[in-house]
Amino acid sequence: MNEHIIATGTVTNAIKGRDALKKRGFYAEMQRMKSTDRKYGCGYAIAVRGNLSEIEQILKEANVKIIKVL
Amino acid sequence: MIYLDNAATSSPKPESVIKAMEKALRKYCANPGRSGHKISEETAEEIYKIRRKVADFFGCSHPENVVFLANCTQAINIVLKGILRKNDHFIISNLEHNAVARPSYKLGKNGTELSVFNAFAEDIEEELERVVKSNTRLIFCIHASNVCGKVLPIEKIGEFCKQRGILFGVDAAQSAGIIPIDMEKNGIDFLCIAAHKGLFAPMGTGILIANSPINNTLLEGGNGANSMSLEQGYDMPEMLESGTVNVPGIFGIGAGIDYIRKIGINNILSHEIKLCEYVYNRLKNCNKIKIYWSQDLIRTPVISLAVEGVDSGEIAAILNREGFAVRSGYHCSPFAHKALDTEETGTVRISPGITNNRVQMECFCKAILGAVEKT
Repeated sequence: MNEHIIATGTVTNAIKGRDALKKRGFYAEMQRMKSTDRKYGCGYAIAVRGNLSEIEQILKEANVKIIKVL
Repeated sequence: MIYLDNAATSSPKPESVIKAMEKALRKYCANPGRSGHKISEETAEEIYKIRRKVADFFGCSHPENVVFLANCTQAINIVLKGILRKNDHFIISNLEHNAVARPSYKLGKNGTELSVFNAFAEDIEEELERVVKSNTRLIFCIHASNVCGKVLPIEKIGEFCKQRGILFGVDAAQSAGIIPIDMEKNGIDFLCIAAHKGLFAPMGTGILIANSPINNTLLEGGNGANSMSLEQGYDMPEMLESGTVNVPGIFGIGAGIDYIRKIGINNILSHEIKLCEYVYNRLKNCNKIKIYWSQDLIRTPVISLAVEGVDSGEIAAILNREGFAVRSGYHCSPFAHKALDTEETGTVRISPGITNNRVQMECFCKAILGAVEKT
C-alpha cells in the first residue's frame, strides 16, 4: 500500500485535509510532523494511504495547501 | 440585582457554557496546534469542531474562515486596517459604535477617504448611491444599533456591494445570535461578532468570519507552523490567530451556540422583544420620558430612555440603588446619539435577556417612574 506523509503546515489545514480525504474513503490521519525541517520549520501533516495523484487532487479541490510530500 | 444590560454582555451565562469552559480547563488544557502529543491534538480537534459549528451557524461553508479573537473590536480593526489602503474610499453608517468609528477616523486621518450614509434613509440603495464612488473598496456597517435597536437591511446592502464589486463588512456585535445571519445569502465578506453577547460565551471572546482575503495582518507571531519562516503566511485562520487562542472561551462559544439552537434563536428574540414591548407600552404615556426604540418590524431588544433635562447617569444611579443593572451615557456610540439628538443627556439603556420576565419589567417601570419623580 502506498503510504505518504503530506505536510500541510497548520493544524487547521491538516484537519481539513484529513476530513476531505476520509469523506472520499481514503485512510488519513492528522499528525505533528515527526521531524523538523530547516526549510519549513515544524507543523502538521496528514498520513495517507493510496494513490498520491488522486489524494493530491482531493486536497487541491478542498483548498488544502500541500507544502511537501515526505 | 435585576440584570438588564445584555447589550453589554449577556448575563447570566448558561450553565452549559460554564460547564464547557470547565471541561476545557480540566480535559483539554493544552495548546492546540502546537504540539504532537495527544492532548494538544485532541484540543485542536475540538477547536476545529467549534469552528465548523460557528461557520454553519452563520451560513459560511468554510470553517477555516472562522477566526477566534479576543473581542469584536479586534475583528473590526483587522478588517478595516487589513483591507484599506491610502486613497481607498470606504463607507460606514451614521449609527456606528466606536469600534468602527474610531479606527475609521484614524484611517481617514491617514489618507483613506471616508463617507457616511444615513442608516435611517427610507431607500437604502438610493442613499448608498449618493455616497458611493468609483474607488469605493469597502462598505462596513453596524447590523443592529446598541442604542436604539435599529436593524439595518444588510441583505440589500450586501446585494448593492455585490453588484458593484465592493467588499462588505458587518459589525454584528448586537445581532449575532439574536437575529439569524446567513453570510453567503446576504453577500457578507466579513462578519465581526461579539461572542460574549448574543452567543452567551464569556467576555474576552470575539469572532471574525472572513470569506474574502485579508492581505495585511495587524498582528504577527507564532501560530504553530512554518516556524523557520519569518513570513506570517496566508493560511487561514492561523494567519489571523497569532499566539495562543482562548481555548476555554472557544468551548464557551460552542456551548453558547448549542444553547441557542436548543431554545431557538427566534424564540429567544420573541421573548426579549415582548419584554421591551411591555416596557415601551407602560412608559410611552409618561410625558417626562422619551423612548428611543426602533419601530421597524425587525428590531433588537435594546431600548434607550431619556428624561428631559436630567443626566442619564443620575437616573441610572437611582436605578442601581433600586437593584437594576442598566447602562447610561453614550454607549461608545457618539454617532448614534448625534443621530438621535440625545447628546445633551445621553440615555439609559435597557436590554433584557432570555432569563428576564414580565414581573421584572413591571418592577423596572415602577422604579424608573419613581426615579423620574425624584429628579
